[in-house]
Amino acid sequence: MKNIMVAGVGGQGLVLATKIMAEAALKAGLDVKTNDVVGLSQRGGMVWGSARIGEKVHSPNIPVGEGDILLGMEPLEALRWKGLLRKGAVVVINEKRTYPSSVLLEEKEYPERDIGDLEKEYVVIRVDAVKEAKEAGNIKAANTVVLGILARHLDINKEIWEEVLLENVPPKAKDANIKAFNIGYGYQKD
Amino acid sequence: MKSVMTGNQAIARGFWEAGGRLAASYPGSPTVEMLESLKEYEEIYSEFSVNEKVALEVAMGASFYGARAMASMKHVGVNIAADPLMTFTQIKINGGFVLVSGDDPGMASSQNEQDNRIFGKFANMGILYPGNSQEAKDYMKIALEMSENFQMPMLLDITSRVCHSRSIVEMGERVEMDIKGFSPDREKYTMLPPHTFKPQYEMVERLEKLSETAYDIPINQLYEREGTDTLIIASGLMYYNLLELDLDVSIYKLGLVFPLSQKRMRELADRYSNIIVLEEMMPFIENELTLMGIKSKGKELFSFTGELHIEDIRRGLKKAGIIEGVDESEAPKLQMIPRPPMFCAGCPHRPVFDVLKKAKVRVIGDIGCYSMAALDQWDASDIMISMGASVGITKGMNKMMRRNGDHAPLVSVIGDGTFFHSGMTGFVNLLHQMDEEDNMTFIILENSTTAMTGGQHNASSGNFNSADDMKVDIKAMLSAIGFTNVREVDQFDYKAMKEAVKEETGRKGTSVIIATRPCALRFKIKEKNFYVDPKVCIGCRTCVKTNCPPIRMKEYQGIDKLKSFIDPDMCVGCSVCAQVCPVGAIKRSR
Repeated sequence: MKNIMVAGVGGQGLVLATKIMAEAALKAGLDVKTNDVVGLSQRGGMVWGSARIGEKVHSPNIPVGEGDILLGMEPLEALRWKGLLRKGAVVVINEKRTYPSSVLLEEKEYPERDIGDLEKEYVVIRVDAVKEAKEAGNIKAANTVVLGILARHLDINKEIWEEVLLENVPPKAKDANIKAFNIGYGYQKD
Repeated sequence: MKSVMTGNQAIARGFWEAGGRLAASYPGSPTVEMLESLKEYEEIYSEFSVNEKVALEVAMGASFYGARAMASMKHVGVNIAADPLMTFTQIKINGGFVLVSGDDPGMASSQNEQDNRIFGKFANMGILYPGNSQEAKDYMKIALEMSENFQMPMLLDITSRVCHSRSIVEMGERVEMDIKGFSPDREKYTMLPPHTFKPQYEMVERLEKLSETAYDIPINQLYEREGTDTLIIASGLMYYNLLELDLDVSIYKLGLVFPLSQKRMRELADRYSNIIVLEEMMPFIENELTLMGIKSKGKELFSFTGELHIEDIRRGLKKAGIIEGVDESEAPKLQMIPRPPMFCAGCPHRPVFDVLKKAKVRVIGDIGCYSMAALDQWDASDIMISMGASVGITKGMNKMMRRNGDHAPLVSVIGDGTFFHSGMTGFVNLLHQMDEEDNMTFIILENSTTAMTGGQHNASSGNFNSADDMKVDIKAMLSAIGFTNVREVDQFDYKAMKEAVKEETGRKGTSVIIATRPCALRFKIKEKNFYVDPKVCIGCRTCVKTNCPPIRMKEYQGIDKLKSFIDPDMCVGCSVCAQVCPVGAIKRSR
């Protein structure tokens, strides 16, 4: 069983990311359940999704302390969910920061040090997914870069991921998404 | 064939497979996606109606005509639809009828946490309670069959987690069901006394029959283990959360949560000395058992509010002595900066609330994205209860303020979707006993969409977007019913908005300001972005206080003081920040 958490900011397209994970798992002959938060939180609030992939999945909810992989599409949001993770879990952090209201209004400081400290407990992979997506040809493919990194940590064939990706992105964005996925798939932790 | 679906999509699929013909809804989380998915099936007439009451009535009409029908809504929507519902359920239905209620334990996006199983019982309906997408699809089909077999409307009650969770579903084919047509029968279909007397008995009888079926209905499954005196009764997602703990106990899984089979429950009570009921929100099943004289433990172990996660269940069962020696794993509470939702970049609500905040007036809010004006970063809305309630509340408070010698103005804010949903009647009521001492200003935010639920159409969307068919003119409508002081303002002209609020709150009477800018999110409006000239900026933060996602203070090289900065990737060019800047430091890029 792999427990995958994805966290970000409303508008980043997390629902499509969990959908792609679920469809890839089904194609690989595995059982899968996902969660998504939907609703008011899409207006720039905190959003999250999760996927549990394995032989047999009962609950879509990841038990506390059993998260294997955390995809943080925004650094503060990655930090927010660290309590869910097991020791030594993989944390992918997209470096693009989106500041919450209280930081914009100078009431609170963005927790840079705590985000840096994640390295002490987890295997952290930092990526500027927006920059990599731009290089792939479409700024909107940032999530696809991160899915590429995820794919390296799951037992699902690369071909299956690519097939599902092509089914889920608009025709114009197909090439860029395949490129973005491969950038993520071959991404080396520096 | 297998497919991955959300609970919402699976309900739509189930309705289609079961030969469903008409579906009506009003958008509200967590059920929005049901009707959006139904729109993909051309055999089904579907609509987002103007409110839940109308949606239920539209679906009732189809059922009366012998077609399989469904109405879907969020839990509080059933309150709006309650009047027709409570009488409709007295009738022996013709075409199968299912009401889908999306309950929201934990209130991820709702103003209350009401448990609509109680509504189902109140309305004498059978209640099905799915726990994953396969069940959501299957139970929809079973509910339609039961509805026709027992001639009763059924309630499919689903929680938000199951609505939005995806899991694997085995797809089926559609079964075509004939539309039977309508045979007039006044005794059956016109609910005035004495026609209403007999249905009281019939409702009891059909529930009794259904409870007999419940004895061995396949969706109520008993999983027994040898050598245990503990039985846990669970339904919906709670059953699947419980399986995660892999306990050596027997489990009775309920797909049909009302009515229960008294005979079955007594048999189980004889076999098990320790009965535990695992359910979110109200002690519904627990109370049913109590009424049968069966002792069980439920809410003494599990919270009556919020979602019950695997950890909550573990803690409850530890308290009950079922689990021993486990440490109470709870996520370490991190002091984390919250990230509340914000008005989008380019949101037309921003200038309205910036003006109201600075005007320091009392504001009565309503339900929509503009509810966010009540959050800390705005602090620009004082009361918010339910859809359309702002209008009546404003009138009542205004009347008492004047009698109390308080002459402060009162401002009320309502969106166009909410206006059509249930604000209109409140507006008609404003015309009654108008007084020259009144001072009420109603601001209608006409953004041409139902924004908070993802941008569904509403009754005035067609004025802006040619793809939408309804073009109600709110100004003409209010003028026609008797309001003499109605004006339209484009709130992106900040000064005009400010003047309008100043003028209307500064004079007595009842006035209406219609703010006409469309939703930036639904209509994906993007103009050339703005930037700050740090040499001109005086660091006053007037722009930052409009609380726009791209705007913050930043250190510029070679400048001592922090100056404002606009993230060019996020700015959509609405110009509000440039208009509030006192020194003209914010300029549009070329």
